[in-house]
Amino acid sequence: MAADANATGVDERRSSARQTQSDDVDAAESADDRLLEVENLRTVFHTERETIRAVDGVSFGIEEGETLGLVGESGSGKSVTARSIMGLVDDPGELLPGSSVRFDGRELTDLTEKGYESVRGSGIAMVFQDPLSTLNPVYTVGNQIEEALSLHRGLSGIDATEKAIELLEDVGIPDAARRVSEYPHEFSGGMRQRAVIAMALACDPDVLVCDEPTTALDVTIQAQILELLSDLQAEHGLSILFITHDMGVIAEVADRVAVMYAGEIVEQAPVVELYENPRHPYTRGLLRSIPSTQQGAERLETIAGEVPTPNKAATDCRFAPRCPEAFDACEEVHPVPVPVEEGAEDHTAACLLYPEDEPRKAAVDRHAAAGDEDSPESAGSTGGDSR
Amino acid sequence: MSAVDYPVDEDEQTLLERIQDEPGPALKLLAVVVPLFAVEFGAVASLVMSLPWSAVGSALPGFLQGLAGALAGVGDALANLPTLLSRSVIDNSGYQLPSGEWVGTTLGLSPAVAWLLRVLLVYAYGFAWMAVGWWVYLVYRDNYRYADWAPVDDMVNRFRNHSWGLLGLAIIFAFVVLALFAPALGPTTVEANISDPYLHTVEYFDEEAGSVQEIYVGDANRDSQSRGQGGDNVGPLSYDQFGRFHPFGTLPSGKDLFTFMAAGARVSLFIGVLSLLIAGGIAVTFALATAYYKGLVDLGVVIASDSIQSLPQLLFIMLASFVLSGTWLANLYSGGVVLALLFGFTGWPGLWRAVRGPALQVSEREWIDAAKSFGQRPSVTMRKHMLPYVVGYLLIYASLTLGGVIIGVAGLSFLGLGINAPTPEWGRAVSAGQPYVPTQSWHISLIPGIMVVIVVTGFNALGDGIRDAIDPQSDVGTGQQDESAAAGGGA
Ligand code: SF4
Repeated sequence: MAADANATGVDERRSSARQTQSDDVDAAESADDRLLEVENLRTVFHTERETIRAVDGVSFGIEEGETLGLVGESGSGKSVTARSIMGLVDDPGELLPGSSVRFDGRELTDLTEKGYESVRGSGIAMVFQDPLSTLNPVYTVGNQIEEALSLHRGLSGIDATEKAIELLEDVGIPDAARRVSEYPHEFSGGMRQRAVIAMALACDPDVLVCDEPTTALDVTIQAQILELLSDLQAEHGLSILFITHDMGVIAEVADRVAVMYAGEIVEQAPVVELYENPRHPYTRGLLRSIPSTQQGAERLETIAGEVPTPNKAATDCRFAPRCPEAFDACEEVHPVPVPVEEGAEDHTAACLLYPEDEPRKAAVDRHAAAGDEDSPESAGSTGGDSR
Repeated sequence: MSAVDYPVDEDEQTLLERIQDEPGPALKLLAVVVPLFAVEFGAVASLVMSLPWSAVGSALPGFLQGLAGALAGVGDALANLPTLLSRSVIDNSGYQLPSGEWVGTTLGLSPAVAWLLRVLLVYAYGFAWMAVGWWVYLVYRDNYRYADWAPVDDMVNRFRNHSWGLLGLAIIFAFVVLALFAPALGPTTVEANISDPYLHTVEYFDEEAGSVQEIYVGDANRDSQSRGQGGDNVGPLSYDQFGRFHPFGTLPSGKDLFTFMAAGARVSLFIGVLSLLIAGGIAVTFALATAYYKGLVDLGVVIASDSIQSLPQLLFIMLASFVLSGTWLANLYSGGVVLALLFGFTGWPGLWRAVRGPALQVSEREWIDAAKSFGQRPSVTMRKHMLPYVVGYLLIYASLTLGGVIIGVAGLSFLGLGINAPTPEWGRAVSAGQPYVPTQSWHISLIPGIMVVIVVTGFNALGDGIRDAIDPQSDVGTGQQDESAAAGGGA
């Protein structure tokens, strides 16, 4: 299977880079010692006809120095999750009550716009998808990095310029002293994304939210940027939330992976576990659709159909219409994340097939009960570990 | 790392450095600008000295008063420097002897020719400044700008190929020069001819007495009235019996219409520009705020602007200027300031609507999110990252609105509101000539009326041109042609 090839790659990388962290993963299930903790996040957008539930009960946490990969097709709510964390959800969108984003023990969802300004940048910084539109074309790259520097480090004038050059060198831009006074359109795509990363680093953040940072770049550049990110992470002890639709990219950067589908996290596991042993039918479908170099010209499978746009609270499995393993109950019971089997606390899946080691009927009842218990609040949370 | 000596990237400094590296073109430019400015330096100084400095002076503490007095002396001396465009350089006032010879005018030219020469000189001077402006752009673009290409180059090229916009530019250029140089352009001055005719005299050759006589301008005006059928008439391009040349003829009161129009242009331009500064300032502030915050802020401004737009603007301004008449505010600049304020505060909703779209558009750009994501303050984000994209659109609609303000002011003056007599305003000339439209004194209403139409058309054409230059897709009808023309020009 294609996933095996990827998993080997993952193994190599992990053994070299972050052995210590992978050891911690199992132990760190309690919510308190995580740097960023998202719980039961629901972000909705009100339109004239309906309310779109773009993010519908998402929970995850990121520890210090860890990279969480958030993966899903476009329209699954990944970017809205990122924007919700950054407090960038504008009208007509809003976070429903009960949503919680905690950073360093501080609840962010209650903050005013002013309060958020103190978290953005220095606490959590963001790297956006398209580096060309992230940089304002009318100012030099240096000017924009210095803007962040003056805000977060109080630097100005020559000090700021020197620091900006230093940052550009850190992100691997050759001839930084000259390029600092160039305009974004004079940079190549990869260089631009490096500059954007330098801009985020200028704020000296603890958490870096990367929203599809390599999607707009070609493959070789993509690999360089990923390498840069993991170097910077090691150097600065950054925690990274890495958002992408690309399972191949996730394999290279993430310590843990959360798979999103239609506003919910359907499976969450350490990266090796997920690739070697995917449990949710959707994750399996995703992994089968990655092109693999080793396997040659085998036909790629695709998942038929599209991600639905949820507009009411779920009463069934949102993946059921596309699921090859769907059975009757899938239409009636909304699955919640549960450990995939006895003892596998760090591997959860929101599917009625799990826990695998329980009789089917009991498992379905368990999902149904969790859904009824304190619905809609609990539906979709990573109940498996915290409840 | 910090010990290394890096070049600094401050834009101003690099521009300065670039000029230092290659001073040639800049020096050439300076060699033209300095004399051009020097010949009119006296006029600028006298404009500065005409501000109410005495009020400032008396507010100063004692020991500074002496210094201020000395400064004022220097200022006055500078203000009296001869200037190229003063009326005395080419004098058109004099009298004609029975032999046909002119006395008192420059070189003995006839007043008509002398006046025409002066007008040509003034317009040549104005044109020189416009050419210098273009030259500055070229020198900057070719010699000193860091980037080889900037979006503004394409806009300039598109505008250069936009004949309708260029026509507008030409008209507005003519109008602005008329307004700025009004005192030098008229065959006579506002003080001498319109506001204080009994404090000034003219000389003329009295054929009955056979000698040169002096007469108050006011008395002379009584014999140069244009009152249509059965009355006197001094039409366009003709002399009255005192040897005074009237390019546009005279008003029913016998005053010179061209002098009146030139001074009126100044008033119109002042009101137009001041009201636009007010309206534009409010509109841009609101547009940025509504685009940034959306939601309730947007709703609030929508309601405010709708309420203002639901008022009949002119009727409201009439009422308000009536209520305010007699207050100190209404006396500033003969009521011009109060009109500018009223037009500004009632005119912003239109401008705001026009720039709200572009502001919303730019607020969706990712660099706004990026700025927010590293904690930039809203005010800085708006000013630094949104404003530059809105200014162009403001320019378009400002140009279109200016025409409207000029019509509005003329309309109010036509009704006897607005600018207090005797300060000239175009609308009052239209109104004064109204009874004489079907007579030989048709010029009194028609010339100002046509000029209003031309100037307003000019502002609209200029706005169209700027719009097509900034945003070629905006106008489907003419935009298509312009686009292909622009593509050719830009290539
Ligand atoms: S709950 Fe049913 S439909 Fe949903 S993924 Fe599991 S098996 Fe498929």
